[in-house]
Amino acid sequence: MKDLVTIGLPSKGRLKESSLNFLKKNNLRLRSKGGDRDYFANFDNLSNAKVIYLHAREIIERLGDGTLDVGISGLDLLRESSSSLQKKTKVLKELDFGKANLVVAVPDDWIDVQTLADLEEVSFYFRDKKNLRLRVATKYPNLTNKFFATKGVTQYRLISSLGATETYPFTGSSEIITDITSTGSTLKANNLRVLKDGSILESYACVLASKKSLINKNKKKTINLFLGK
Amino acid sequence: MKSKNYSEKILKVFKKKGFVFSEPDVLLDSNYIIQRSGENFKKLMINFEDDSGKNMCLRPDLTLASCVKYLKENSIGTAKIYYSGQAYRRSNNSKESIANDQIGLEIIGSKKKTLDDKEIINTILKSIDKIKIKNVSINIGDVSFFRQLVDSLSIPERWKLRLIRHFWRPKYFEDLLNRLETNSDIDPIAVDFDKKKFSEMKNLDQNQEIAGRKISEILSRFDKKISDPRSFTEGKKIVKMIREFLKISCPIDQIDKNLNKFFKKNNIKQNVIKNLLPTKILSQSNYKIVFSTNFGRDIEYYTGMVFAIWASANKNKQEIARGGRYDDLLKNLGSSKDISAVGAAINLNNLSRLV
Repeated sequence: MKDLVTIGLPSKGRLKESSLNFLKKNNLRLRSKGGDRDYFANFDNLSNAKVIYLHAREIIERLGDGTLDVGISGLDLLRESSSSLQKKTKVLKELDFGKANLVVAVPDDWIDVQTLADLEEVSFYFRDKKNLRLRVATKYPNLTNKFFATKGVTQYRLISSLGATETYPFTGSSEIITDITSTGSTLKANNLRVLKDGSILESYACVLASKKSLINKNKKKTINLFLGK
Repeated sequence: MKSKNYSEKILKVFKKKGFVFSEPDVLLDSNYIIQRSGENFKKLMINFEDDSGKNMCLRPDLTLASCVKYLKENSIGTAKIYYSGQAYRRSNNSKESIANDQIGLEIIGSKKKTLDDKEIINTILKSIDKIKIKNVSINIGDVSFFRQLVDSLSIPERWKLRLIRHFWRPKYFEDLLNRLETNSDIDPIAVDFDKKKFSEMKNLDQNQEIAGRKISEILSRFDKKISDPRSFTEGKKIVKMIREFLKISCPIDQIDKNLNKFFKKNNIKQNVIKNLLPTKILSQSNYKIVFSTNFGRDIEYYTGMVFAIWASANKNKQEIARGGRYDDLLKNLGSSKDISAVGAAINLNNLSRLV
């Protein structure tokens, strides 16, 4: 089909549910041949579009390489991606779900560390007295590096985390973390505390589009229908 | 003159002055470097994973690689070495080459600091004389002067440490000065004092570690923090003085006079700067030498004298050599004791654009 618009939707979790609700609100009806396990779907009432269910991170990547025209994903994942990928992607709509903050958190018992200025001092203490760099576990290395650079925190090294980042300071894998949190309850339950000025990014779900797809008039028309315009 | 010819002439001078050839490793352990240099340095490095899964990098700097070698070989006493090879670094400028041909020399582990500074500068200048480069000018500074000035000021301890720590990052340093000037501390004025938690922690085993920090360390820093004055009204005056200090730039033979003038004007004891001698050495040189208090702030590992040598030909000005004292680097690289070091390198790529 000519000018078919390929839409990426999150494949699981609350982000998937909320994305499907967003479609419902826009009166878009989805149908999948293979039921819930089918990664592909079509619309009953939007013939020039098809849906692929993907991991939220994958949606950002595929918008960048042009496999997808539109997608729903988190702002945090977009901002974390490479600058070349961000240049190719446009935020079309901010959505009222998927709200979460990327924050810097330290062990609650570090009572002397309340701000980034404290953290900066402690990181120098690690360098000067222990001959080590403060280790920061994160799934967001790019955003963490950029944020720390603007706050003068330089003496650290990143530890790549794939999950359960909150455990890292208590298993000897890192000293502090940066992580995404919506209510802060998981951090609290794991004896971590967000620094007073430690908010890196306020994130939410967005409708994103490949800038290249927006040049095509027919595709843009379909994208507008998807947005409920 | 061909590149090979002039590098041979330079090396001949190095050898004559008693420096011994040392070849630093091309491949270094990435994690070792990042652990000791931080994430910022990582951005410059060319990293890869070897067959065993170990993260390696191409040597980003020959001084750093020479120091790693010095420590690896458990060297004792003074090492007077020279090297010739390539350093590999990423650059934001796509026109700049990743590989830089360098020849350089280092004096590591010596206690005769003033003499060593003199020897490094004079050997580099002698090498440049040999290749008959014209229109040579020298910039020199001493980053320890700023530290000594800040130490003499009556400002809260945390501000002293911040200013010294970030002297190397001119952009963030300017941000700090603006905050100091407007008395807008980067810490909130009130320190949250959780008495209950503080008492609980006092009763715990003080050697117990929480995420890499002993409880005694945490409580000691907390104590210091609450006793350091939070409000501070002299910021504007201090910032004006710092800005004025960092503007001092003059021919080397006038540095004494200009520093004294600055101290007198700002009611600072004139002996605040204790080690002017290495810079004075150059006063008798035939070259045009400018001393700037602001010079040498772009590389964190310098701790004392810093210099750069420039030359120009056909309106093309190039930095052909740079060096300085870096007394903390070996400790940062894992040495358990203080090992002083001073060195300089000649940038052959830039030199070849002139010769």
